[in-house]
Amino acid sequence: MNETDTSLVEPKHNLSVMLSRIRNWPELGAILAFLTIFIFFSLFAPRFFGLRNLTGTFTVVSELGIMTIGVAFLMIAGEFDLSVSGVYATTGFLFVTLGNRLNSVLALAIALAVAACIGLLNGTLTLRARVPSFITTLGMMMFLRGMMIVATGGQTVVYEGDEIVATLLSKYIAHGFRPSHIWFIALVVFFSYLLTGTRYGNWVFATGGNKEVARAMGVNVERVKLINFAISSMMAGLSGCIVINRFGVANASFGTGMELETIAACVIGGTFLTGGYGTIIGVFCGAFLMGSIRTGLVMIGAPAYWYQAFVGAMLVIAAAIHIKVRKGVM
Amino acid sequence: MHQDFPLVRMANISKRFGAVQALDSVSIEVGQSEILGLLGDNGAGKSTLIKILSGVLPPDDGEIYFNEESVRFSSPKDARARGIETVHQELSLVSIMNISRNFFLGRELTKKRGLVGVLDKKKMDKECRRVVAEIGITVRSPNEYVSILSGGERQAISIGRAMYFGAKLLVLDEPMTALSVMETRKVMEHISKARDSGASVIFITHNLYHVYEVADRFTILNKGIKIAEFNKKDVTAEDLIETVARGEVIKS
Repeated sequence: MNETDTSLVEPKHNLSVMLSRIRNWPELGAILAFLTIFIFFSLFAPRFFGLRNLTGTFTVVSELGIMTIGVAFLMIAGEFDLSVSGVYATTGFLFVTLGNRLNSVLALAIALAVAACIGLLNGTLTLRARVPSFITTLGMMMFLRGMMIVATGGQTVVYEGDEIVATLLSKYIAHGFRPSHIWFIALVVFFSYLLTGTRYGNWVFATGGNKEVARAMGVNVERVKLINFAISSMMAGLSGCIVINRFGVANASFGTGMELETIAACVIGGTFLTGGYGTIIGVFCGAFLMGSIRTGLVMIGAPAYWYQAFVGAMLVIAAAIHIKVRKGVM
Repeated sequence: MHQDFPLVRMANISKRFGAVQALDSVSIEVGQSEILGLLGDNGAGKSTLIKILSGVLPPDDGEIYFNEESVRFSSPKDARARGIETVHQELSLVSIMNISRNFFLGRELTKKRGLVGVLDKKKMDKECRRVVAEIGITVRSPNEYVSILSGGERQAISIGRAMYFGAKLLVLDEPMTALSVMETRKVMEHISKARDSGASVIFITHNLYHVYEVADRFTILNKGIKIAEFNKKDVTAEDLIETVARGEVIKS
């Protein structure tokens, strides 16, 4: 603390200050919830806390998490992306189709470039036509799904290309570890830094927090949103390619409903649906929470449908807690 | 230091929105270190004029001179580069961001490190803390959210920020709306202080008593036309109110 600074009130070490500290850190809720769930399943599901299950959980978490990072990044800038599951499937498909003919690295590059273009199209439609992104991206999701069924005739496609990308993205290493785990962690670190440590991150917060103010202060709000639309789509595309490479097959219903899972993970992780606030660490915890519930419920012997019910309940509880906690601080 | 020519001169500015002639050949000027009260009832064209001056809107017709040099602003950034800083009633701070991040929004301090601008948070916090203390606001840290600040504190920080970044002309658009009496007084002190440190001010308000206290000169608009200009010594606050309310100069 700066001692010459007399005009600033020194922090008082009492409960209310501690509470306000916690309030300034909404992702703490996600961490606590995650730990609670994690301990619960570790105690009641005998094989939950085993290396094989944990790495298996991490695989699912990474695939959902990479997509969620992009969605959160855009959500913080104040826009939704409901097209991610469609982009995920389309990009995966494109990768399989191209990879069966070309070098897989080239196929991945083209597939991700197409994903970025879909994102830019989402952004352009939203910003130019002033249609809310909720609608443009919902439309895009349905359009992509429909086109995919048309293109494949509902058939499953099998990947028969080379193994380079598969090795880079999702090939089984040992004990259930996969490269996607490293990709996820690296992307969490990268985007967390981009958001909190750079000038661009500041613009993202301001754009979502109050776009009129951001614009008045010289931030190119449209460009920030457009870039984030592209990021969201590319992350969804990457996630799709990772999953396709794990399974080796795909069909048109691949990833259905994942857009809502990503939004749930964002909200559980403390991201504001209205934009302007969120952390990538929170997203990490949100995605982990979802993944743990999914595998934990299976391990405990609950029917698979419980997952949806559980996530639904978590989502509402998390949102309610965040709103309560935020009051008076933001 | 004192120059004879005005700091900013807007000449014959016109702006039309569809069927509405928002401004019809309006000319105003602001002297060096002068506080100009820009008055007029709702719909007079004050805000449009200010938006043109701050680069938010382009004029349909007319010229802007800054220190007698013809300028054209295509964005708020251009205007700000010249030292024209605008403080709007609600458009200056993002309430769910912290004070320091708001303070440097769009002008973040960065360390030189490649293409990505890496924020120099330490320096930003230090500078922000210093300015906030100078203004006389008590906060625990520059990392507190703006939402905990009162309206007056927000305006004070906006004005302090403008001065920190070397504002030559401070444009205040209804800065007292929704402020308490005590806070209004404080903000007025900040405005006088800004003028005393060499900046010029355009002050837009509905409350003529506020502006009368601090302004040196008044320009009155009505329905897009400039109807009157007064030096403070030539009018009383009551005269101004009459002129604004009637939309014409009263002969006395």
